[in-house]
Amino acid sequence: MTTPAATLTDRYVWAAAHNLPEPQREEFGRELRERIGDEVDARRQSGAPTDDAEFAVLVELGDPAALAAKYLDRPLHLIGPRYYLTWKRLVTTLLAIVLPIAVGAVLLAQALAGAPVGEVFASAFSVGFSLAVQLAFWPTLVFAIVERSPGSGPVDRWTPERLPTIPDDGKGGRLGDLIASLVFLGLFAGVIIWQGYGAPVANRLGESVPVLSPDLWSFWIPWFLVVIGLEMVFAAAIYVWGWNWWLAIVNLLLNVAFAVPALWLFTSGQLVNPEFLDVVGWPWGEAGGIVATIIVFAFIAVSVWDVIDGVIKTVRRRGGSALSLGRI
Amino acid sequence: MDATTASHLQELRRGTVVLACLVRLREPDYGYALLESLNGIGVTVDANTLYPLLRRLEKQGLLTSEWNTDEARPRKFYRTSPAGEQLAGVLTADWKNIDRALARLTSGEGS
Repeated sequence: MTTPAATLTDRYVWAAAHNLPEPQREEFGRELRERIGDEVDARRQSGAPTDDAEFAVLVELGDPAALAAKYLDRPLHLIGPRYYLTWKRLVTTLLAIVLPIAVGAVLLAQALAGAPVGEVFASAFSVGFSLAVQLAFWPTLVFAIVERSPGSGPVDRWTPERLPTIPDDGKGGRLGDLIASLVFLGLFAGVIIWQGYGAPVANRLGESVPVLSPDLWSFWIPWFLVVIGLEMVFAAAIYVWGWNWWLAIVNLLLNVAFAVPALWLFTSGQLVNPEFLDVVGWPWGEAGGIVATIIVFAFIAVSVWDVIDGVIKTVRRRGGSALSLGRI
Repeated sequence: MDATTASHLQELRRGTVVLACLVRLREPDYGYALLESLNGIGVTVDANTLYPLLRRLEKQGLLTSEWNTDEARPRKFYRTSPAGEQLAGVLTADWKNIDRALARLTSGEGS
């Protein structure tokens, strides 16, 4: 004979017991029945009808799966404190290293295959998105399984060698950057001027042939030289004040001022001297298009990285300011 | 009582429930009776903590159990094992040490 109330208890016990391994179920079921029975009795003694008492007791016990987890000491979290940091380091490292390489490779491959711009970015986005999901999912699955397996797995042990070096915000730390920038920019400007007069490439008559189109001297070469001069001033500004958001924006503008005209001139065929191309035998058969694409991509990548680098240094410097105050 | 106070009180009482169970169960008893008697003498514990705790202590060999089927409802009676008795001794000694230390702190001798 089963009353409706008894059925409710039966269903609860069944639902809770099914979260346990088979051999433990019967004992656990009896224990839970005892507990429910005693609690229902206590409520009935204080005047509640049996059905209401039973219902109230089960409501108080809550979700049978959560109750079983509590009895079993089973984690109700996906990844607990023991593995969380190891998991986080692994996933962020994977995303930071694998994702940009893969997306860059897809962009390059699509561009080399001559796909339209929209298609290049669409396929890079879809590959990047599915790869990010995969990179996050598989380590999480493995860690969730390890979290639930008995015994202690190898835990990532922290040692003091892992401490990051404190970024040097002082002028001393930036002096190296300043010298490197000035030397590089000076050489760059020198090469631009020198190629117009004494380039190593000569035609059959023995006259040296400029690499860049001589027509550009009317406007664009002076423009680039001015931008390089501004870059030098900018490098000095970084040395004096350190990175901040204003300088990060100036860095972006300088990069745009240089990269956009250079790319436009290059892709529209105005940048390089046609006579120079004749002498070196361009285009080099099939390879010509590919080499041009790689140059464009490398150029864009360097400019974009320079802008991102400025932002990163600005953010780091802001984050590190509390630390440097502490050192004073 | 605000949430912060409640959580600190819970932290403070967590270990004492184990000790209270081990001492109280020198006389065999079942879950609900134990819950009533502990709360009756002022060791505050709720059913959601006590029942899983009994199961865990049994698994660790600190309690032994036996089903009593004399009445209409079968009940699991727990009793402190020799290992549980030993642990109760260690915990009691530590409890008294803490009590003495806190007493010294509050009377100003320790500072």
